[in-house]
Amino acid sequence: MQDTSPSSVSAQASMFDQVVRFSRVLHNGGISVNSSNLIDLCNSFKHIDISRREDFYAATRTNLISNVRDIESFDQYFAQYWDRIFAFEDSELSEIEADGDEDSEETGSDSVFAEADAGDSQPATDESRPDAYSAEEILMKRDLGTMSEKDIEQARKLIAPLVALFAEHQSRRFQKDKRGRLLDFRRMLRSNAMQGKDGVTLAYRKKRIKKTRLMLLCDVSGSMQTYSRFIIQFIYALNRELKNFEVAVFSTRMTPITEYLKHRSVEESLDLVADYVHDWAGGTTIGNCIKEFNDKYARDMLRSKTTVIVLSDGWDRGDSSLLSSEMKRLSRRSHKLIWLNPLLGNSMYKPLCQGIKTALPFMDYFLPAHSLESLAELARTLKEIQS
Amino acid sequence: MFKSIDDVEKQLAKHDYISDRMLATSIYLAVKMQKPLLLEGEPGVGKTEVAKVIATLLNTELIRLQCYEGLDTQTALYEWNYPRQMLELRLQEARGEDKKAIGANIFSEDFLLKRPLLCAIQSQSATPPVLLIDEIDRSDEEFEAFLLEVLSDFQITIPELGTIKAKQPPIVILTSNRTRDLHEALKRRCLFHWIDYPSLERETRIVTTRVPGIQTELAQQLCQFMQLVRELELQKLPGVAETLDWAEALLALNTSELDAETVEITKGCILKYKADADKLKGNEIAELIKQASAAIQGNTASHSDVLRREWND
Repeated sequence: MQDTSPSSVSAQASMFDQVVRFSRVLHNGGISVNSSNLIDLCNSFKHIDISRREDFYAATRTNLISNVRDIESFDQYFAQYWDRIFAFEDSELSEIEADGDEDSEETGSDSVFAEADAGDSQPATDESRPDAYSAEEILMKRDLGTMSEKDIEQARKLIAPLVALFAEHQSRRFQKDKRGRLLDFRRMLRSNAMQGKDGVTLAYRKKRIKKTRLMLLCDVSGSMQTYSRFIIQFIYALNRELKNFEVAVFSTRMTPITEYLKHRSVEESLDLVADYVHDWAGGTTIGNCIKEFNDKYARDMLRSKTTVIVLSDGWDRGDSSLLSSEMKRLSRRSHKLIWLNPLLGNSMYKPLCQGIKTALPFMDYFLPAHSLESLAELARTLKEIQS
Repeated sequence: MFKSIDDVEKQLAKHDYISDRMLATSIYLAVKMQKPLLLEGEPGVGKTEVAKVIATLLNTELIRLQCYEGLDTQTALYEWNYPRQMLELRLQEARGEDKKAIGANIFSEDFLLKRPLLCAIQSQSATPPVLLIDEIDRSDEEFEAFLLEVLSDFQITIPELGTIKAKQPPIVILTSNRTRDLHEALKRRCLFHWIDYPSLERETRIVTTRVPGIQTELAQQLCQFMQLVRELELQKLPGVAETLDWAEALLALNTSELDAETVEITKGCILKYKADADKLKGNEIAELIKQASAAIQGNTASHSDVLRREWND
């Protein structure tokens, strides 16, 4: 975009160059455009009158945009970019400063990160926060931070049926199965044709069982510290039960930790994770973390049938509109989105804080997770929902 | 086929489909560039209708493939007619044909059950058929990947018969309700258009065209009311299909003007969830009707203002 000087925007610059430049503007604005679509767009200029703004706009949009979420920002970039160029061709006096807007946007996003970094370096200010709510918050039956080995064993027993609920679901596709209940005519006729007999050997089929994948996003910020030991045990137990299972923890940034949980004892894994995760008990910017997950990891870690569990109290210091838009993205990518909230165990608790409130519409389930009892309840609830 | 974008708009209108310029451009380009057109939008905004209308106005065949989870190639593409093959073998045996000749013909087109995709590709008509792949978001990823292959080359290989290539690629319309995101690769191959809820003016035009006999005043009031309903926080916002249903219902009841009572008893046409119906009751309805009338009067007032000004000039 540096070379958007008036001379380069002259009439001689080919349309294709302009389109490529425009695609870069879109790209910088977070709308990715495929190069084959650019070529198609140029081809479609043959069919329309590009001097008509609305037709030119329609052709550009229909070729380059494939998501309704992008339309609004596309409209802005389109107006910014093309209206200036068209205006320039009309009157040579107008100055083109397309860079201006972009710069301001970049500094805008920089400041968001600066804020996050500041939160990282000053966890002290953050920890004062949950204390302010402690009076209404702490009504726990048991301090989960002081769980004994026996309790952990019990937790694992409770977790097993819960995991089993998640682990499998019935596919609508069929597979052959000798003990199936449905006759598979297709295979029957095929195999019997070879022997010259009709329908002697019966072939059966049944519906395939697909394994569900689980993705756990776990809040380990300061306000969650009371629960963090329990949480890591919970994660560890889940990990032993489940194969297709990924874990990431976050407070100010997202860190995948699945590979560190492969060790034999909880303590060993815990030490490793503690070494590896630097923002443990830091501030919380859930929106930024979920965004980081969506941008960086979701593509690799999520499949169409992945259930995503977010474990967090929802105290968010970041931008709540960012959180809501990122939760929306996440919910679209996942099969089911479950939010486990330790604070929900408190009967006084209502999801009033902004973080949770904005994220609520995008969750499939919003459930408590503060004690062993609540875990058992979670398993029951899920059974009810599924049956 | 189509001469220009204006032509598309005009022909659609002639067949009672009121489009906007953006949609007309997308359709025009899809036909000219032989690219599939992906239509997304909330339920009931007329996505499927687009394909139907194009087929009617081009006077060509509409081939429809309704997607669902578990849809496989045997239902979408082709399948061999196994019982008929078996029967043919028996008949040949009974006729005492030469052993070598028996079964030689059973993998020919006579024994092929053609499903929508194969029909679309094999079509011999002068104008290409319209292939409607409806609610693609309901199918699973495996099918999407397979569709990608078909849509890129418009050819199908049947091992026993060989490769079948389309004489001319069909006009492909895909629709999606966005219950999930489609794969990027599929989107990349398509032109994309988002069908939004229509503007007040367009919706009024749609109602007066599709529900002949309705009074203009009622249509206006009705559409204004719908615009206000869509601003409410409902589980499911009513689409154009609902507006049309409602207009027909009101026409059947000989209504000439909206009043709270009529809306109350006919609101089932537009609100399909109990929670939504509970939200819109007596007082709220009266309030909305009042707002709608005010808005209409505002519109006509400003309109006459313009006229007066023009007159003075």
